[in-house]
Amino acid sequence: MKKVTILLAVLLVCVAAQYSHAGETPKRIVSLAPNMTELLFALGLGDRIVGVTSFCDYPEAAKKKPKIGGMSNPSLEAVIALKPDVVVMTVDGNPKEFEERLRSLKIKTFVFRAKRLREFPQGIREMGAVLGAAEKADVLSGEVEKTLERFRTARQPAKKEKVLFIVWPEPLIVAGPGSIADDALTLLGEKNISDDSRTSYPKYSIEEIIRRAPDVIFIGKGKGMERVSKGLLQRLETVPAVKNGKVFYVSDYLYRLTPRTVKGLEELDRYIGRRD
Amino acid sequence: MKTKLVVIILVPLVVFGLSLVLGPKIINPFAMDETSREILFSVRAPRSIVALLMGMALGASGAVLQGILRNPLADPYILGISSGASLSAAIGIIMGLTFLGSFTIPVLAFAGAIFTGSLVGVMGWKRGGLWPERLLLAGVGLSFLFSALLMLIMSVSSDEGLRRATLWIFGDLSMSDWSRIPFGLIFVLGGMLLSMARAKALNALILGDELAHSLGFTPHVERFFLFVSVGLMTSASVSLGGMIGFIGLLVPHMIRFFAGSDSRALIPASAFMGGALLCVADLVSRSILPPMELPAGVVTAIIGSPYFLYLLRRRNVLSV
Amino acid sequence: MSSASDLPILDFDRISFSYAKNGAFIKDLSFSIGEGEFIGLLGANGSGKSTILKLGGGILKPSAGRLMLWGKSLQTFRNRDRAKLISYMPQSLDVTVPFTVRELVDMGLYPYDIRPAMTTGEALDMVGLRGRADGRLADLSSGEQRRTFIAMTLLQGAGLLLLDEPLANLDIRYQIELVLLLRRLKEERNISIVMALHDINVALQLEKVMLIKSGEILGIGAPEEVLTEERIRQAFGIKVRIIRQQGENAYVSYKNSF
Repeated sequence: MKKVTILLAVLLVCVAAQYSHAGETPKRIVSLAPNMTELLFALGLGDRIVGVTSFCDYPEAAKKKPKIGGMSNPSLEAVIALKPDVVVMTVDGNPKEFEERLRSLKIKTFVFRAKRLREFPQGIREMGAVLGAAEKADVLSGEVEKTLERFRTARQPAKKEKVLFIVWPEPLIVAGPGSIADDALTLLGEKNISDDSRTSYPKYSIEEIIRRAPDVIFIGKGKGMERVSKGLLQRLETVPAVKNGKVFYVSDYLYRLTPRTVKGLEELDRYIGRRD
Repeated sequence: MKTKLVVIILVPLVVFGLSLVLGPKIINPFAMDETSREILFSVRAPRSIVALLMGMALGASGAVLQGILRNPLADPYILGISSGASLSAAIGIIMGLTFLGSFTIPVLAFAGAIFTGSLVGVMGWKRGGLWPERLLLAGVGLSFLFSALLMLIMSVSSDEGLRRATLWIFGDLSMSDWSRIPFGLIFVLGGMLLSMARAKALNALILGDELAHSLGFTPHVERFFLFVSVGLMTSASVSLGGMIGFIGLLVPHMIRFFAGSDSRALIPASAFMGGALLCVADLVSRSILPPMELPAGVVTAIIGSPYFLYLLRRRNVLSV
Repeated sequence: MSSASDLPILDFDRISFSYAKNGAFIKDLSFSIGEGEFIGLLGANGSGKSTILKLGGGILKPSAGRLMLWGKSLQTFRNRDRAKLISYMPQSLDVTVPFTVRELVDMGLYPYDIRPAMTTGEALDMVGLRGRADGRLADLSSGEQRRTFIAMTLLQGAGLLLLDEPLANLDIRYQIELVLLLRRLKEERNISIVMALHDINVALQLEKVMLIKSGEILGIGAPEEVLTEERIRQAFGIKVRIIRQQGENAYVSYKNSF
């Protein structure tokens, strides 16, 4: 009887293993996006990465990995040559056709589908499940959730301020509805003056900014941003944010979903911060 | 003459072979491992074949159009076909349409090209025939219109769609796969056969409508068939891999020294040369800065522009 | 050579044509061209010379009347068949075409599936351009370019050449050369020629002329009969004197006009 039980148990485990969605940790991973690379490192899978894009620059170790091209134009040949077990890509930034080509060549892909801040923890967990790093994923997503929760339940400011987040000064592109920065601002209880735009990163008019008179302006950091934006700020002299000196340069943590995104949240909070 | 024929056929074949073997990593065809075999057959082969097909279509179209329009600066895109194709492809890309799977964008591009070509044909029609001047004006006008519409759409789209649409428009051979090739083959070869069948008529048209008539041709009818052949070939080319310029414009002039001006030789010679050239450009575009891939259209422009300026300085070269 | 009772090659029977919607430019024009005739079509600019030649070549369609080619209506001929019988050479030839002399002359064979008896070399010999066979058309002198096109029409095998002002812009030496060549074609190959021109002096040297004004025939026949001072005044609007001297050819004197 005992033998049968053991046999059954073993069988069950084997069957369960077949049907479980938890994958074995793949040995060779190719990443097609910088934020995927960051996440992979955060999940402890950094040494299994065999290929990254030329834009993957964080953490330092990522820069040393072999390159397979850009985000919108990765080289199929380079990816195949690396013999990956799985290719990690995003739904936003990588060409859809590339995923189809990979699949038609029988290469496993994982598409990270989270785009908004609130989808992030779940996205991390999914990734951890498929790549066999469920524990680390739990920890990471837990941290993110905690931070998000902290901001959500914090005391809201008495008066909602009008905020604008500039992504690029020339042409003038701002963070609109559906962008991570917008999610962050909403979470912090502020009003994004561009939240009635139709796209996530609309090209905005200077006139409109003057008319909507934001109280605070954030400018995301990029190469030479300070120089380039000086001209823009001159034209926005009459805007309250500029008049009262509430123009702040912040980093690019809020541009994509990475483990550092929450740092971006905290950064914003520091400048607006009037909370406990 | 026979040697010339052999040379002109050999060149694209040799180039094709090289494009399979060379590339960011050299593959030894006699000692291929699994991965290399995969790369050669699934990635490089279809890509090079598409490059050959597109180059053939563009080269032949250039030769035919320069004859019909009696204009040495004519290029397959002058008839606005490519603007229409780019517009519909961009709409598809930006809106994320996938109703035909991976065929969606090529089919949209083809439909846009055919639509624009027909529109140009209709506008170029008067009193029972197609007139070169009207075709030219209609083509240029529609080109401007569609380019403007394209820019409008791109300016209100997300930068994701924008980026992808731009890359497509500059010529993107990276998504070539075997499934697209039969379609391309049919239309490119079909168009070429049609233009070859009317090659004598094209020669006569170059002399002028009255002389063509005197030699027994009906200029309007011949122009119509030749125009259709160009439409088919250019539409197929644009739908296979976007807009790749300079080949249609330059190759006929380049090959004229070798093949002469008789359309019966110039059209196929331009086709073979165009195919070889685009194959080389594609090889360069994916090998020069690996693993980055430059759009092939950029490479042809960089090679083509100086060569074009060089041609301008030579005597008598730019006659039709 | 031919008499009026033979079947003419091309017969204009009360032909009318106009470029505009109404109002006829050519009205009720009748004349015919027989075998082995060399006719000079003389008239001022705009008198209808080009129009008549284009009608004869089938490029323009008459609005009324019958145009018969060897007794059959011209319209019933297929283009290729007509091309084997009539060759039309327009007034302005685009000499920037990239073809060589030989390639151009060879195009005369286009109406045919099977190569007729004459070879390219023979055609070039007839016009004296054998040595320039592989040169580009653009490199030839204007006289030689015209002769190249004539060689092409020889290969075309047409029995009737309709030439629109082939002497225009040629130096007098080449004009004479061309006329002599055409005469030889007529004599040796029985080819009929209708040549539009507006130089009265040259017209006086031809064997048969047709004088026209505003789409109407003022006279057709030998120059001595047709080109009278009165008729020339009608056609060209100037007063001239025709000097005819015994044993010398006639020529026009413009002394009174200047």
